[in-house]
Amino acid sequence: MTEHRVMSPGDDDYPAGLLDLEDPPPLFVLGETTTAPAVAIVGTRRSTRYGMTLAEAFGRALAGAGWTTVSGLARGIDAAAHRGTLGGDGEAVAVLGSGIDVIYPAEHREIYQRILDGHGAVMSEYPPGTPPDRWRFPARNRLIAAIASAVVVVEAGQQGGALITARLAAEMGRPVFAVPGDVDRPASMGCNLLIRDGAYPALGVEDLIAELELVLGKPPRQPARAKGEIPATGVAIDDLPVVWGCTPAQALARLARMEIAGEIRRSGDVVIPI
Amino acid sequence: MYAATTSVALVGGEARPVEVQAHVGRQTEAFKLSGLPDTAVREAKDRVRAAVLSSGIRFPNRTVTVNLAPADLPKGGTDYDLPIALGILAASREIPDLRRAVVVGELALDGAVRAGTNALGAGVLSALHRVPCLVASAVAGEAASIPGAMAFGVSSLAEAVELLRVGLEGRASARPGEPMSREDAPDLADIKGQTMARRALEVAAAGGHHLLLHGPPGSGKTMLARRLIGILPRLEVSEAIETAMLWAAAGRRRGLDTTPPFRSPHHTASKAALVGGGSGNPVPGEVSLAHRGVLFLDELAEFPRGHLDTLRQPLEEGVVSVARRGMSVDFPATFQLLAATNPCPCGFHGDGRRPCDCRPALRWRYRSRISGPLLDRFDLIVRVGRVEAGEYAGRPGEPSAEVAIRVEEARAAQIVRGQVNRRLAPGTDLLESATAKGMVAAGVGAALLTARGADRVRRVARTIADLAGVDQVEEEHMAEAIGLRGEWRDD
Repeated sequence: MTEHRVMSPGDDDYPAGLLDLEDPPPLFVLGETTTAPAVAIVGTRRSTRYGMTLAEAFGRALAGAGWTTVSGLARGIDAAAHRGTLGGDGEAVAVLGSGIDVIYPAEHREIYQRILDGHGAVMSEYPPGTPPDRWRFPARNRLIAAIASAVVVVEAGQQGGALITARLAAEMGRPVFAVPGDVDRPASMGCNLLIRDGAYPALGVEDLIAELELVLGKPPRQPARAKGEIPATGVAIDDLPVVWGCTPAQALARLARMEIAGEIRRSGDVVIPI
Repeated sequence: MYAATTSVALVGGEARPVEVQAHVGRQTEAFKLSGLPDTAVREAKDRVRAAVLSSGIRFPNRTVTVNLAPADLPKGGTDYDLPIALGILAASREIPDLRRAVVVGELALDGAVRAGTNALGAGVLSALHRVPCLVASAVAGEAASIPGAMAFGVSSLAEAVELLRVGLEGRASARPGEPMSREDAPDLADIKGQTMARRALEVAAAGGHHLLLHGPPGSGKTMLARRLIGILPRLEVSEAIETAMLWAAAGRRRGLDTTPPFRSPHHTASKAALVGGGSGNPVPGEVSLAHRGVLFLDELAEFPRGHLDTLRQPLEEGVVSVARRGMSVDFPATFQLLAATNPCPCGFHGDGRRPCDCRPALRWRYRSRISGPLLDRFDLIVRVGRVEAGEYAGRPGEPSAEVAIRVEEARAAQIVRGQVNRRLAPGTDLLESATAKGMVAAGVGAALLTARGADRVRRVARTIADLAGVDQVEEEHMAEAIGLRGEWRDD
């Protein structure tokens, strides 16, 4: 395992947002941190397909637009958001409620590794080796709320960590976004409550990014998209030969390979990244 | 006094001899016609009498009886005018007996012989029975194009009488007509953008694959479809004759046209119009008029489901059986099926620029109007997207003539192997590389393909390899085939 470092308030690369806390803690860090403004994507562990799809799309789109995303490596929404960001070749920050060398849940080892593979950082206020005890998670949530310049809640029940994160963020003056859902769907109850209480409704990928840029301005880092990559908003199938600079026959073959690999899917006339 | 000559009836696209028997009796003047004539044939009496008199020949002022044998086979059309006239003249000893000749042609009241519809049938019988045939000059070349036919063209009844009085012996048959091909088909160069659909059209043409285009209204599905003919290989002369005979049976003249036929019946067409039928002698329907060519069903989902199901027999067997009182006739109907449809009743499902107003249940019902077995026939189901105005302005597409060259070569490879790729049964060895096979398996594994879908994709990949001019289907070809599939479903 690579060497971790410890960042303290006052260090140059210490996340500025954390200074808004009454007790900014020292952090154990793995990977590369940036000072670029970050957007948190949080939500319930008991997410639905609706939430997972959106969280992933948001992660990808934010990465594409140049935002760093922050989440907690938990099951459900957190993991989907991380995956989206990684898929969009963006910067992800995972704030853990355990030691930075304790991967919880264990099945998220791949996400953890990919983040450390040049796609961001993993941080925690607990020393390495600290087990993932439940009571530590709310404390972790306050870090996510503070690091982020804005918080997006994708799905949340009536109680839970995501709502705590959102309330803490709001108290610190961070804009809070929530994805509306069916009023009778438990997984959307928290989000709908947040909207009732004044959170911005996030009505989709483009809406979210437009609203973020309105509130926070454009992110300093412009999206660095590899040539030929499919943007989150999709590309018309008929335009693929132009985007990829190849013949229609080659474009069809490449399209099929990417579909088989699960990287993209078709929706009507367009292909969109998964 | 009695005489007979031979004419032609087309039954199921085949020429059958009809003996035209004429008897001139001693009773007072009358003209009787028997042998199940339809109205057009019955009116021959008036045309024949006028034409004979106009030609300065005596028309017997006795009882004239004409029978078209076999008397139980319904006869139709105007092609019996000339044989009836000549039969009567032979019976009244104006001209020698011409039992050993096949005669077809319509008479004008002034005695002129007009091209009817059955000149090719006359040529076929002429070749089969090694007897001369007499047809209108305008179509003598057509009749003579049948190998072995001896065809003589006449432009008037007087000329025919003159010719028969002198005798046909030693005369040279008319020269076979030059097959023609229409060059006025719309060109692919007119279509801007639509890169994927164009490719699909090319592949469909090369492998003879049935193709279903679906997409929002105004996306150019119909425009594309009408350009399929321009890239298909021309017909062999024998095929052109086969097709023209079917057209003749439907009372239409097609001539020696080597352009594959393109038929696009409207969705309000009756079942009989689609597959053939009619009272009396069954007449071929659109599926047979499209024989060796393309049957285009625009707005596929608007066709009554019962009508569409009647397409299954011809799609499977290449013939359609039409049963009518006392007879069942098989018409050849080997065609490439091309269809276009909106994705849903409002047409905009899947179009990112405009929302679809249809309830999901309605979309589902719209789609289910086309039965699964029929959908399975389409090797290629392709989404045609809408081209944004200006997006491709000033960028003309590749002209049809260039695409046609590739199609022709790909077809040639298939003919060497024995059949057009559409007809490749599942389980046939398609000469696929191991990686190509792996690609299909991966497609099935990723739930992109069903087992049946995989068979279709493999046939299409075979065609793509043929277009590339290689013997073995490679991974790249298989990938493209998978990319070309665009199922018609919700997503």
